[in-house]
Amino acid sequence: MKIKRPEDLKKIKKEGIKLLSPAKTRITVGLATCGLAKGAGKILEALRYEVKKQKVKADVVSVGCNGLCYAEPIVEVIRFGKPRITYGNVRLERLGELVKSIKTGGVLQDLVLMRHDEVKSAAGTESIKYTKEKLSKVYSGIKESGRLAFFRNQMKLVSRNAGTINPESIDEYIVLDGYASLTEVLTGMSSEDVIKEVSISKLRGRGGAGFPTGIKWQACRSAEGDNKYVVCNGSEGDPEIGMHRSFLESDPHLIIEGMVIAGYAIGAEEGYVYLNDRYLLAFERLEGAIKQAEKLGLLGKNIMGSGFTFSLKVKRGGGAYVCGEETALLNALEGSFGEPRPRPPFPAEKGLFGEPTVVNNLETLANIPLISLKGGKWFSKIGTPSSKGTKIVALSGNIAQTCWVEVPLGMSIKDIVDIFGKGTGNGKKIKAFQTGGPSGGMLPAKLLRLKLDYDQLNKSGSLLGSGGLVVMDEDIDMLDMAKFFAGFFADESCGKCSTCREGTRRLQEILEGIIEGQGTKEHINLIKRIAAAMADTSACALGKTAAVPIISVLKHFPKEIEGKLIKKRA
Amino acid sequence: MVTLKIDGKKVKAKEGTTILEAARASGIEIPTLCSNDALKSYGACRLCIVEIHKKGNAVIETSCTYPVEEGLIVKTDTHRVIEGRKMVVELYLARCPNVKIISQLAQEYGIKESAREMGKDNEYCILCGLCVRACNEVVKTGAIQFAGSGVNKVVDSPFSKTAEDCIACGSCAFICPTGIIKINDLASTALCTPEGCEPTGPQREILNWKVEHKLKECKKCGNPYAPEPHLEKVKQERNLPTEFFDICPSCRKYPVIDEDKCLGCGGCMENCPCGALELDDKGGYDKKAHVYTQNCTACHSCELVCPMQAIS
Repeated sequence: MKIKRPEDLKKIKKEGIKLLSPAKTRITVGLATCGLAKGAGKILEALRYEVKKQKVKADVVSVGCNGLCYAEPIVEVIRFGKPRITYGNVRLERLGELVKSIKTGGVLQDLVLMRHDEVKSAAGTESIKYTKEKLSKVYSGIKESGRLAFFRNQMKLVSRNAGTINPESIDEYIVLDGYASLTEVLTGMSSEDVIKEVSISKLRGRGGAGFPTGIKWQACRSAEGDNKYVVCNGSEGDPEIGMHRSFLESDPHLIIEGMVIAGYAIGAEEGYVYLNDRYLLAFERLEGAIKQAEKLGLLGKNIMGSGFTFSLKVKRGGGAYVCGEETALLNALEGSFGEPRPRPPFPAEKGLFGEPTVVNNLETLANIPLISLKGGKWFSKIGTPSSKGTKIVALSGNIAQTCWVEVPLGMSIKDIVDIFGKGTGNGKKIKAFQTGGPSGGMLPAKLLRLKLDYDQLNKSGSLLGSGGLVVMDEDIDMLDMAKFFAGFFADESCGKCSTCREGTRRLQEILEGIIEGQGTKEHINLIKRIAAAMADTSACALGKTAAVPIISVLKHFPKEIEGKLIKKRA
Repeated sequence: MVTLKIDGKKVKAKEGTTILEAARASGIEIPTLCSNDALKSYGACRLCIVEIHKKGNAVIETSCTYPVEEGLIVKTDTHRVIEGRKMVVELYLARCPNVKIISQLAQEYGIKESAREMGKDNEYCILCGLCVRACNEVVKTGAIQFAGSGVNKVVDSPFSKTAEDCIACGSCAFICPTGIIKINDLASTALCTPEGCEPTGPQREILNWKVEHKLKECKKCGNPYAPEPHLEKVKQERNLPTEFFDICPSCRKYPVIDEDKCLGCGGCMENCPCGALELDDKGGYDKKAHVYTQNCTACHSCELVCPMQAIS
């Protein structure tokens, strides 16, 4: 069936509610990469076997990740008329017990994390209440998710569906107001209106540089060209984070919807998603989602009878860090060397195949459906004066609870670490933290009060970047960290610019020398000189920021390095 | 045309050209390693950096890639630019201390030696990409490419094996500023097997791309003059007969036309096997034969058919 009118979408929505709040028991297993790594694949199989064996009438479904990566594998149970129960750290040997409890109507109190009483859709029009009657004693003792600090302090806009819906089912996405935004745009908005809303929202690029999305779109719309393209940057080459992966594995349709709207706004008929090669599951789910959308006529020719055509292709990259840089990404998409191109011309004027192209980060595009549905004004009320909206943050490092969360911009980093990460968890103090991936500086614990804000972090010598947050405790040797990142950049530099290619290598050599006890004061001066030249003369952001982590260690942790220096060269 | 200011001097330049071109046209010298007029600008060596003042911001950009704009203020000799260039040279000097153009540059900028703390290598390739771009853009064979990334980047044949598309034209060696691409033209080679040695004639080898190709010998002087695959490519591109390549360019005696005797009858043109002769319109009824030497095989068949003996 093809969706030709908005009514068709409503029909699917009406029927789909039965999927999320079914008469039959629904058991879900969090099957994103974080879950799979902890054995959720086996849990899913075993659950299906156990359900059959104990003759329980239930559907076992895989969903994405709800952010509680530390508690994987996560299993949720929805029984008719009862609240949704979330179990964490589920082991294979407890499954028999778990299925039995479904039969008897009990709850495994030692595994339970929380209960959900309802699910709200994006626009807030749809609210599925799992239970209408008063809760029995078994359930009332469990904390409601909205009351848990972990969820209370989050603002789930982009990640709202993650962990709730089956990422392989388009119907479940449609139930929670999926593609409602697209309907709105195609039936009642001109492309100028869409760009205007995005401009009003003051949305800034979520990839690192924080360029205003509205201005980028306007530039591409007014540029001349036969074809125009929308490119989604899903490269995410940072070594320690995977939030875009988790997000894509949990809710792939959101990206598709955002890209179609972006295409409509700038006048493009083709879109590409450039995906990191390591994200195999995300690739499979996105490909599946594209096929489903094409089947329903939400992608392809004459979408919903509006006359607008848009097709989408996924391209897997090689996983090079530099291919997250937009011009290098375009080169890689065209099939040539992943090297940055000189700018100007900017991609908005001359991008993919020489045509005007908008390159947006995955998270930026994921914000688009909500902005066009609820309006730019609503979006611009969230966050700080210079940074609007929410940001997905992936917490890792020496942290008690590894997780990914979505918080409004302007939240302090200390709050994020304390509320979601629960501190270091080993009794040690936090020594340093790093935001924004490898290109971000390592800042001391006294700066933990910094807010999650593009300009404030830039001023302090770090950046918001992609949203990774790595916490380091007292035992971490900062010089070692500086050496690690120097090595990372020496490997990941594309090797085109002389200063970046040679500079990263020399920095790595010098730091290795200092660690071995051969460093003198002249070495420190040389590091500073090389870093200054790299920041000035490199072509792209990789080279310009490659020395930032090293310089930040020199600035904030000078004692650690001075202790290692010798007076004179042996 | 747009007007911009380079080092306080008003310079007019065509739209679409780069700052480097505009500066050079007005006599302001900017050092470069990776730029060449025959190739697209690339921006790898970062030596041609200049300071650009725009909207109150001073940014460093490479002049070889930055297009000229109306009202742009460019400075080529500020402290920031010179310090940046010095570091570029210093880093190059640490990579390849024995390359002549690098040590010359170092002398110009007053650098005796790269910082002792920096470490040293002895590379000869400066990764300017001139050879790669000449092969791809001018020769259009695409026989060599960059391989690896970051510090491991090299120019190489595909998979470090014989470059199969290489026509041994030698453009890469010609354009290489450091002379690291080695071409050997061998007067005589032999294929030796246990049964004995068999001479295979003159050959050209390019050691860097592991390529060996036979050299075509001139039928007149007997000297080898060009690699066979190169001639084959020229033949196909220009649609020339095989005989065209029998004689080397230095042996060719091109026909000379005595315009006083020439009637403009076109007989030579019709009989030319290579289409090397055409009639030049000198105005009115006055037409004269003209030889296009790039197509001429020097067979002298035109000389035989000319009724006026105007061709010799």
